[in-house]
Amino acid sequence: MTDTSSPAVETETAEQPTPQATDSDLFHESEIAADYVEGLLDILDYDGDIDEVVQNGRPVVEVLGSRLQPLVGQRGATLEALQELTRLAIFRRTGTPSRLLLDVGGYRAARRKELGAIAKNAAEKVKEYGEPVRLEPMSAFERKCVHDVINALAGVESESEGVEPQRRIVVRAVD
Amino acid sequence: MPTPVRRADSALRPALEHLVKGIVDHPDEVRVRMVDSRRGQRLEVRVHPEDLGTVIGRGGRTAKALRQLITSIGGRGVRVDIVDAY
Repeated sequence: MTDTSSPAVETETAEQPTPQATDSDLFHESEIAADYVEGLLDILDYDGDIDEVVQNGRPVVEVLGSRLQPLVGQRGATLEALQELTRLAIFRRTGTPSRLLLDVGGYRAARRKELGAIAKNAAEKVKEYGEPVRLEPMSAFERKCVHDVINALAGVESESEGVEPQRRIVVRAVD
Repeated sequence: MPTPVRRADSALRPALEHLVKGIVDHPDEVRVRMVDSRRGQRLEVRVHPEDLGTVIGRGGRTAKALRQLITSIGGRGVRVDIVDAY
C-alpha cells in the first residue's frame, strides 16, 4: 500500500488505455479524487455536490454547483490544473497513473458541445473547398472532443500537429 | 479587476497546504506559510526533500498547476515559492 518504488509518473495523454484496471480499482480512484477535491471545497467554503462514476473505462468525478467558476478558470485552465493535481493525488495512493476525468460546474460537457459545432463547421469547409483547415491550439481534452466528432464523419480526417501548448488539429479531406 | 474577498484570501494558505499534502509521500512534513513583504505576498512551500521533485514536477508542471489554482481562487499577485531548504 505504501510502496513508493515509483514507476514513471507521466500521465499526460488521456488517450492511453489503462492496462486491466478493474471497475473497483477505477471506483477507488474516483473516491480518492473526490476526497481531494472535497477537501479543497471545504477550505474555500464553496458549495458543491460531488458525483463519482466510472464511465467508458475511466474514473469520472463531477463537481456540481453554481459558484465554481474559480475552479474552472479561463477556458478551463484551472480545471486542467486541478485535474492534474488530482491525478497525482491518486498516483501517490495507488502507484498507478490515473486517467481521471474531472469536471466542474458542467464545464466540460458545455465545452464538448461547442467543440462539436467547431468540428462540424471545419468539416464542412474542408468538403466545400478541399483545403485542410487548421484549428486553434487546444488542450488534450478539447482535441479529443474534436477528433471524436471528425472520426464519425465521412470524407474527412483529423490529426494533431505541433507541441503543447500550441498543439492543434488539422482537418483534411480523405478520398 | 475584482478584489479578492477577505475569506478567500485567508483560505489561500490552507488551500495550498491541502493541495500539496495530497500529492506527497510525507504529508506531515509539508509546511506552507504566507509571507508579507514590501514586494507583496508570497506563499512559501516546504516539503520533505524526497517530495521536492513531485511538487515541482517535470519541467515545473506541478508547480505551475499549483500556481494556477492559487491565482484562480483569489490569490492573483500572490507568489508561490517552493523552497529547497533542507
